[in-house]
Amino acid sequence: MPVVQTRSLSKTYVVGGVRVGALEDVTLAVGEGRFVAVIGASGSGKSTLLNLLGGLDTPTAGTIEVDGALISSMDREALARYRRHGAGMIFQSFNLVPSRTALENVELPLIFADVDRAERKRRAAELLDRVGLAARAGHRPAELSGGEQQRVAVARALANGPRLLLADEPTGNLDSRTSREIVGLLAELNRVRNLTVIMVTHEEGLAREFAHDVVRLRDGRIVATEGVR
Amino acid sequence: MRFSDAAGFALASLRKRRLRTFLTASGVTIGIGALVCMISFGKGMQKNVTRAFESADLFNSIMVMPGGPSEPAADPDEPGARRAVRAARSGAVLDDAAVAAIARIPGVVSAYPDVNFPALVGLEGEEEFRLVQVVPAAVAASPAVRIKWGRTYTTDDEAGVIVSSSFLRRLGAKDPAAAVGKTLRITSVSFDLGKLVSLDLTKLFAGGGLPVAQEHYDFPVLGVTEMTVFGEGGPGLGQNDVFLPPGPARGIKKLPITSVWDVFRMAEGGPGHSAVSVKLGSLRELEAVKSKVREMGFSTFALADQFDEITKAFFFMDMILAAVGMIAIVVAALGIVNTMVMSILERFREIGVMKAVGAGDGDIRGIFFFESGAIGLLGGAAGCLLGWATSLLINRIVNIYLARQGVPYVEYFAFPLWIFLGAMGFSLLVSLVSGIYPARRAARVDPVVALRHD
Repeated sequence: MPVVQTRSLSKTYVVGGVRVGALEDVTLAVGEGRFVAVIGASGSGKSTLLNLLGGLDTPTAGTIEVDGALISSMDREALARYRRHGAGMIFQSFNLVPSRTALENVELPLIFADVDRAERKRRAAELLDRVGLAARAGHRPAELSGGEQQRVAVARALANGPRLLLADEPTGNLDSRTSREIVGLLAELNRVRNLTVIMVTHEEGLAREFAHDVVRLRDGRIVATEGVR
Repeated sequence: MRFSDAAGFALASLRKRRLRTFLTASGVTIGIGALVCMISFGKGMQKNVTRAFESADLFNSIMVMPGGPSEPAADPDEPGARRAVRAARSGAVLDDAAVAAIARIPGVVSAYPDVNFPALVGLEGEEEFRLVQVVPAAVAASPAVRIKWGRTYTTDDEAGVIVSSSFLRRLGAKDPAAAVGKTLRITSVSFDLGKLVSLDLTKLFAGGGLPVAQEHYDFPVLGVTEMTVFGEGGPGLGQNDVFLPPGPARGIKKLPITSVWDVFRMAEGGPGHSAVSVKLGSLRELEAVKSKVREMGFSTFALADQFDEITKAFFFMDMILAAVGMIAIVVAALGIVNTMVMSILERFREIGVMKAVGAGDGDIRGIFFFESGAIGLLGGAAGCLLGWATSLLINRIVNIYLARQGVPYVEYFAFPLWIFLGAMGFSLLVSLVSGIYPARRAARVDPVVALRHD
């Protein structure tokens, strides 16, 4: 049974009175512990797909199931709970809170999950250590390199122990060496923790090097699915 | 999300934008300060007036006037009413016998006619036209007459007067205490009967003057009354400047009239007094005494009956003062809304991030509510201090100014604890209400849009 299952998923935006289809009839199944790369040109609907899977956006039609829960019909509060516990997300622009230190950024999801202060600090420090940033815990995002910031974002995405990690162009703002390190980290977490990873990217090389499956999107539709390994 | 965490988020945000927090809270401070000032002034006035009434025994007094209870306001076109008036007038004359009868009613401590006559009153060459009040010794010794310097007269026949310090000031006396023992000259006017007999009408019409005589009477000043802002201490509410005991007053030749009404009353053949002041032992006797006096055919006026009206008047005064303060509060509330909406725009992306990592609508609302509430509490606390300090300052300035006019020190503002607690509670309430719209708007932020936002 797949961890993520979408059926006939569609998302249509209305821009200036004109309906623009961002995603059309996407049916996708991702098994537990898989590392799936979604590849496509910009505008192909890959970020839309990821926002829908992460519970940030709601589909126009079709269904999404994660771990057996029907995400596509959840209300706002249930979606917030899902984002808190069910799926971790990382982004191209890291999206750390600038006024908070690395440790405090990792604490953020734990705060919304009502974890008490001492436990929060302990878990956040452990996660920073896990991504190799224990020494940088007290630094603010502006004092960290791009790669370090993305590691903080990864630690934050894992704070409440989700089984699904969604990465939206995680290497878009990084040089090629750092990009390999970050995708390598995701692959390692996938392997060691049996974490299901869905990564949107346009770097085919990285996708082929680390992912199990590659899904190709064009104009909002899946055009090909191939098992790399 | 825990309460302490919401507090932490909000306080961190307020600290980060110190100047704006300070300016927004200042708006609340001024509004709450104005409100505290206004309400404490209203309460101070009420306290002072109530106390002045109590100390002057005004609640325990009844004014008795001639005429039945229905006289004279009834519709003049209604014959029945006119008959009632006539009956009352023919029946009851407020003469000395009636005063004595009223004094015998159980519960009445004293009853004395409200007698006054116009006279020129002079001290050391300066003189002014005044109404001289004839007041028995029992009343002059009561708290109704507030002697500050010297003493009151001890018997109704003692030859001596009590004057007010404000009148002494008008006569040019610098130190009211020094006036005790000096001689006050009362010059009264009366009809000269001798002249009246040989009245030469042609002379009168030619402008020769009325057949009047002037007589001088000298009395030592025994006491000087204290001046208060709420009227010179004396019976009744008017300005009473010269008090004379009944004994010497009888020896003074004077015009029996003080107003045109007295002339009318004389024409109807009803001599007697225009009013009688009645002092009661306690307020409890009020209704019983009032009904007895009415049975005798007189009308009554009791200030105690009016006190509900006075209380109502103070309530309206408080409302008006509060409304003035409210204007500032409304402006402050708009300031909070503006600041919070600005805060949402600045933290648009941060709100998106918080939602992406699992913040619910309620969490975001809580953070923003806490933020506006903190501004309200901060501004409210500072406003209490500001209002209190401003009131003390105004009180001081007014007292310095009035001290030059001889008015003793008065606390014009009252600060019951509930004013401050109420002001704090109110500013918190206003700030939370101001936070409703921004908090809802923040909670409704679409994370997809916010994260795309730069």
